Amino acid sequence: MQSDIRKELLDAFTNAGESYLSGQHLADLIGCSRTAVWKHVEELRKEGFELEAIRRKGYRIIKTPEKIIPDEIRLGLKTGFVGKNIYYEDCIDSTQKAAQRLAYDQVPEGTVVIAEEQTAGRGRMNRKWHSPKYTGIWMSLILRPNIPLSKAPQLTLLTAVSIVQAIEDLTNLHTEIKWPNDILINGKKVTGILTELQAESDRIHSIIIGMGINVNQTVDDFPIELQSIASSLLIEKGESIPRAALIKSIFTYFEKLYLLYLEEGFLPIKLLWESYAISIGKIITARTLTGALKGKALGITDDGVLQIEDQEGKIHHIYSADIELN
Amino acid sequence: MLKIQEIREIIKLIDQSAIDEFVFEHEGSKIQMKKNVVSNVTAVKPITQVVESVPVNVQAVQTPVQAVQQIQVEEMKQEVKAAENANLHKITSPMVGTFYASPSPDADNYVKVGSKVSNDSIVCIVEAMKLFNEIEAEVNGEIVEILVKNGQLIEYGQPLFLVKPE
Repeated sequence: MQSDIRKELLDAFTNAGESYLSGQHLADLIGCSRTAVWKHVEELRKEGFELEAIRRKGYRIIKTPEKIIPDEIRLGLKTGFVGKNIYYEDCIDSTQKAAQRLAYDQVPEGTVVIAEEQTAGRGRMNRKWHSPKYTGIWMSLILRPNIPLSKAPQLTLLTAVSIVQAIEDLTNLHTEIKWPNDILINGKKVTGILTELQAESDRIHSIIIGMGINVNQTVDDFPIELQSIASSLLIEKGESIPRAALIKSIFTYFEKLYLLYLEEGFLPIKLLWESYAISIGKIITARTLTGALKGKALGITDDGVLQIEDQEGKIHHIYSADIELN
Repeated sequence: MLKIQEIREIIKLIDQSAIDEFVFEHEGSKIQMKKNVVSNVTAVKPITQVVESVPVNVQAVQTPVQAVQQIQVEEMKQEVKAAENANLHKITSPMVGTFYASPSPDADNYVKVGSKVSNDSIVCIVEAMKLFNEIEAEVNGEIVEILVKNGQLIEYGQPLFLVKPE
């Protein structure tokens, strides 16, 4: 019933175009009270619509939210399994948590959870991931690869490569990867990837890859403390990017690389990763729980492990760290 | 040299007897037992352990050339522990990476010594390249020892916890 009123309301605004519709007119049209109309207008505002209200004239919609419509992703998607099964949520605690629950329920490989907004989006070490409504791509992909558990971290590098390819394809922006899988444009972070594993002993049950991509945020959408280190595709490109198209492109690139990886191993992925790597050959600082290590980034091993040469010429293997470019 | 079982047997017999003091010398070793004296259990190498809850006090003294050694209580404990270790379940790491005892630096540790765990209890996280693997106990029991430190790099198959199964 409620959705019927919503639909009629949206239809009315669509037909009205640029003109204003009074509350009374809308109430008569839909067959409800003016209070009910007002309530629905407030609901629309909460969902990201911008409505202008002028006394004696009424309402008109001046900006619609750019929702991701799952059907828009499905339309023309040519993958075999990645993104074939989409769970779409308007608002969710975290797509990772939802995907974990789904993974236990044996959903097919390639299932994706997409949310317009996350209230508890997380990054590394449970750091908060800022994911405001209708601006970014907040999604989690469920995989069930038949690979040794010890190889699983390589998939995080593979994911970064697929997103870079999709972004470059759609925007022509020069996009780089900071080890292991942060995606930067002009030195600012536009994407974070966090992967979680469900396993029993040595057997992988599922791998859940969480992706947070800043697409259409404006500078003001970022908290002050992030404005110097984070950016969005819109800010870098100067125009908004259709999110559904980007998602479709990521699915396509990801599946291609993933199948290549399962067939031929990490080497071809490593070569691609290195071609986008920002830190190789540069002096960097790797910060871990136990301290900081400064040195020259030599490259990654065949397993994706970062090698740093310190001032004494000793080579360190880094498995986990926050990397700072000096 | 007498065997521990033989000494135990002697203790038992003396305990049940009216004898207050007993001295036994054989091939340079000397065992001396006294009833109702200050509790100080000593023994000579290699007879290191006489662990019996008996109302006698045992003093075994070797030839004057060699120093009398006290039974090392720690040594005993270690031996008991070694015997127990055989029955303890080891939780090992399925991959190379960094060991995290808690979900975030300011959160409580998943488990501590004494924590009861069940099959699917998360005991720690191992991370490599921003892939986080929550390690489950895969056994029901009690954590008796944590073998690695927070933030430490661990190897494939490295034992992380000892669990006393229940």
